[in-house]
Amino acid sequence: MRNKIIGAFEASWREQKETEPPLLTDDTVLLDTGLDSLGFAIIITRLEEELGYDPFSLAEDAFYPQTFREFVDFYETHRPAQ
Amino acid sequence: MTTLQKRIRARPGLEPVLTTGRMDLSRAAILALLPTLGPSSRLALTIREPGALLKVLAAYDGRSDALLILSGELAPDDAQALAADAEATAVVSDRPEIPGALSPDSVLSEGSADQDAVTRQDMETRWIMTTSGTTGRPKMVNHTLAGLARTVRPTRPDGLAPVWGLTYAPTCFAGLQVVLQAVLGGGRLVAPPLSAPIGDRLAGFAAAKVTHLSATPTLWRHMLMHPSSAKLPLRQITLGGEIVDQALLDTLRARFPNAKLTHIYASTETGVGFSVKDGLEGFPASWLNDAPDGIALRITGDTLWIRVRGTPSEYLGPMRLTRDADGFVDTLDRVGRQADRVVFLGRDTGVVNVGGVKVYPETVERVLNASPAVAACRVIARKNPISGEILVAEVVPMQTPENPDTFKAELIKYCRTCLPPAAVPALVRLADRLDVNSAGKLSRS
Repeated sequence: MRNKIIGAFEASWREQKETEPPLLTDDTVLLDTGLDSLGFAIIITRLEEELGYDPFSLAEDAFYPQTFREFVDFYETHRPAQ
Repeated sequence: MTTLQKRIRARPGLEPVLTTGRMDLSRAAILALLPTLGPSSRLALTIREPGALLKVLAAYDGRSDALLILSGELAPDDAQALAADAEATAVVSDRPEIPGALSPDSVLSEGSADQDAVTRQDMETRWIMTTSGTTGRPKMVNHTLAGLARTVRPTRPDGLAPVWGLTYAPTCFAGLQVVLQAVLGGGRLVAPPLSAPIGDRLAGFAAAKVTHLSATPTLWRHMLMHPSSAKLPLRQITLGGEIVDQALLDTLRARFPNAKLTHIYASTETGVGFSVKDGLEGFPASWLNDAPDGIALRITGDTLWIRVRGTPSEYLGPMRLTRDADGFVDTLDRVGRQADRVVFLGRDTGVVNVGGVKVYPETVERVLNASPAVAACRVIARKNPISGEILVAEVVPMQTPENPDTFKAELIKYCRTCLPPAAVPALVRLADRLDVNSAGKLSRS
């Protein structure tokens, strides 16, 4: 899961920017990476296509992840039972 | 005629009036400025720095024929074409890439109060604003300062003057509303550069103790994703420019329990709108019988129709307005009844709102169809928790690609070269064929 999210982040980054994507750690604040909100909107749409679910629409309450770890955990928590 | 300078002179409230983080602008500094160009001047403004824009507006309102307020990001060609359409006598800009433009400082001089009385013309200056959109040149709409400032409320005299944060460009309708409310209502305007990263802007808002903030739902979600938003001492939260959903309202209510929540509906077509303050999405269905603020609302077909006292804004150039026998105008916004609420569903024109930017899927389809690799395509909107909506493209390739992932990535790269970021599909899906409806048109639902 973590690697898929990193992959989606790096792909979205390279489409927007010329530079190398930064290393994501648990405490990285997503919006301090320099990727804009459209970049994260794209990541969520692509992850839904790849994983088959969108935790934001599955969750009962609205959630706005701040750190990379919160983002990954949110996808893990809402992964549908196989 | 109550000009902008007169209104600023009469304002109560905080000093400085405006702060950008790099410079402060006091009331006295704004009032000291006089125009260097004559009363028949008609200025096209494409100014990035909010303080410079405010100074020029204050010096020229009441002393020039018209002020055309253009975005500071507008392409130089479009800026010059619109200036020509509006018969502007000069272009004023702080952007070096605008050829022949006068700098804001060069059209202002510091004068005394005596001079002020001599040069004051007190003429009615037209404020010409432009509509937003990602395709085609923006349309111009005539306003007056009196009309634009109609919703400005004076600050309460109990020392709780609002500190407004500016998240919009000051040249767009929502941004100018915030500027006028802060500057004329007696608060302070905190206007960090729009190009600064969100973390820096939020830190600036927190340091300036911003209490009032107006932003699109997309930007609110964006701010909620940053830890610095927790430090904002907000008393008023305003949302507008996109459909507001209940989940976002609930999250804002929980995160900022001391703030009033207002969401604004504004119709570009009619130039009016209303605000909803009960923390619920949409508006009360009872407003269909009895709406506030001198407007009347009805649902005809599946769109919202609105009737205003007085005349709607005047568009310069052709603009279709559909009006019924009772004087209601079609807003082209699709609505639906949900129990005792009326909720917004989208635009009847097929326009998609990606993070506050209006995008026509047909425009994106035209771009994709122009690629030799594409046989056919359909671009549809999909809901997104960050940007409200986002585009997805279904593409029938001319020939089956050897590597589908590379093919999709290349198509997205190609779209980036000819479309604004919000119009680039987030995702390309490959298809063997596309469904058409009984009329032979691409089915979009």
